[in-house]
Amino acid sequence: MNLLVALQIGLREISSHKFRSFLSMLGIVLGVSSLIATLALTTGIERGTREFMQQMGGLEYVNVVNKEISNAQFEFWNLSPGRTLRDAQILRQSAPLISHISPELQFGASVASESQSDRKRVTGVFPDYFVVSRQQLAAGRFLTDLDVDRGLRTAVIGNSIATLLWPSVPPEAVLGRTILVNDRPFEVVGVLPKYEREQDKRRREVGGQKKPIGSSRRWDPFRSKNDAVLLPYSTMFYDFRAGAFPLDSLESVRLDNLTIRVGDLDHFPAALEQVRAALEITHRGVDDFDLDTREEWFGQMETSIRATRLSGGLIATISLIVGGIGIMNIMLASISERVREIGIRLAVGARGSDIFVQIIVESMSIALIGGILGVGAAFGLIEVLKAIAPSENVPVMTASAIVFSVGFAVIAGFLSGIYPAVRASRLNPISALRYE
Amino acid sequence: MPLVHLEGVSKIYRLGDQEFRALDGVNLTIDDGEFVSIIGPSGSGKSTLMHLLGCLDAPSEGRMEICGSDLSRASQNRLAEVRNREIGFVFQAFNLLPKLNVLQNIELPLVYAGVKAAERKRRSEEVAREVGLGDRFANRPVQLSGGQCQRVAIGRALVNNPRILFGDEPTGNLDSTTGEHILKMFRELNASGKTIVLVTHDPDIAAISRRVIEIRDGKIQREYAP
Repeated sequence: MNLLVALQIGLREISSHKFRSFLSMLGIVLGVSSLIATLALTTGIERGTREFMQQMGGLEYVNVVNKEISNAQFEFWNLSPGRTLRDAQILRQSAPLISHISPELQFGASVASESQSDRKRVTGVFPDYFVVSRQQLAAGRFLTDLDVDRGLRTAVIGNSIATLLWPSVPPEAVLGRTILVNDRPFEVVGVLPKYEREQDKRRREVGGQKKPIGSSRRWDPFRSKNDAVLLPYSTMFYDFRAGAFPLDSLESVRLDNLTIRVGDLDHFPAALEQVRAALEITHRGVDDFDLDTREEWFGQMETSIRATRLSGGLIATISLIVGGIGIMNIMLASISERVREIGIRLAVGARGSDIFVQIIVESMSIALIGGILGVGAAFGLIEVLKAIAPSENVPVMTASAIVFSVGFAVIAGFLSGIYPAVRASRLNPISALRYE
Repeated sequence: MPLVHLEGVSKIYRLGDQEFRALDGVNLTIDDGEFVSIIGPSGSGKSTLMHLLGCLDAPSEGRMEICGSDLSRASQNRLAEVRNREIGFVFQAFNLLPKLNVLQNIELPLVYAGVKAAERKRRSEEVAREVGLGDRFANRPVQLSGGQCQRVAIGRALVNNPRILFGDEPTGNLDSTTGEHILKMFRELNASGKTIVLVTHDPDIAAISRRVIEIRDGKIQREYAP
């Protein structure tokens, strides 16, 4: 008997007992919809987190930080020049696994336009900074080697600064305007886009109410990126830092930040080793620095995503198994009702395997229809979830989650059909025919 | 060549350590084109004999050949195949599938023979017309009279063009006039060359055949031509 005929028989059987079939499908419907919803939720969380990780500089981002010197080395503390531009130079020469190095100088300054002013942190950077921090552009250009080499008075500013200084002026129109940093004029050559978390973006899109940036009481990891005022490193040093300590030069001034980007994550530990070896020399053996990586932090995020997905999936799987048991129950009742029918089919030449196929196909059809209904229910369920928890990451329903869940339901239908099908296929034709 | 050949066939049922011989050393040969009746009181073993001849069951002892192949130790699948291709059954209780219409009931053996849908439709329509149900294709069994139901059953038995047609008290659930019609159909089928085996407890019905085999206590008691 071919499968098409078996399918026809199964569908006829299902449609002739609509309510009973619906009841047996219900478990599958709930199981599939909760499985899809769980997968959608975790996918949403995962996407949000990954995007966040990317915007935070990704796993390749490594921060060279100062470290308290141990007591044993205390007497040698001033042997080390600390983090300087020399570090960056030596890393560029002797740490080939590091693709970008971004030394930074920072200081608080008054930042002003013609009409507005505020105190902000100003950062002097090299072009590598934009790569290491994964900056994008809303308008204009990044700072270039030329800006740094010539010590030009150019600036790239974050989105919040642009809106603070020139409210309701689009980024393109901000280009070319003059920003006063401690009363020295700089030309704005680039504006960064507005960085925000997924949930903030959604709240803005859905809720409509705009909270002024910075007033959010919750921790905003992009605040420093949005508040950036970026000047060429050299300009920054000569205009604002030279002379503070007479012995300071461009080379020897202590950096406020030194971040690097590892070129290839496959060689992450080796890259860190190269950095340590190089800095050991410039710091003259004084152990006053440390490498701060995102490995652990991101690893924890990954682990918690995986745990969420696993536990949610497990619960949904249990409900699918319950659904499968429901199907098995109904199929067993259904075949004991149809013993005579099976006897007739056997008498006209059906083999045991034909009966087996018929029952298993019917069971899988119930599961498949239940699964398809479950996909519909999942759409509704996700809308409910969005309404209940709008500030969370958007649930993302993927095609693979749908296929996986429905496929899983069909497998549950297959497994729960096996026992009834075996029982039906082993019926003896004579006693089945006589069965009343 | 004989269509049916039984040699010392027994069917033994065991209940605990008790042994019950429903059939005991039956020898029987039925040739192509014969019209045979098997009669006997209930419990005589005539149904058991029909189940063996109809390949619904395999013998416990002895040798059984149906349509030239030895089925003494045949597997369930082999028996199903013979039932499907060589044998048609007409039962007392019609045994139609209530959810299927006339055509779908008639085409059932073709489904298991692996015949394509279009061909199934063509043949079942042809057979339905032959048994006089040309205007009833889409009716369900509940919408048919007993005689019509039995015609559907005969159609289903004939659709695979089997070599032997078995009737198990085919008129038992019908009034006498309708029963006459059905028996007439059997006679006509035999006249057109079909081998027919009728199982009944009624000697009057058996009288329409040309050879009567009387069974008692699992043995062939006598054989006569009415």
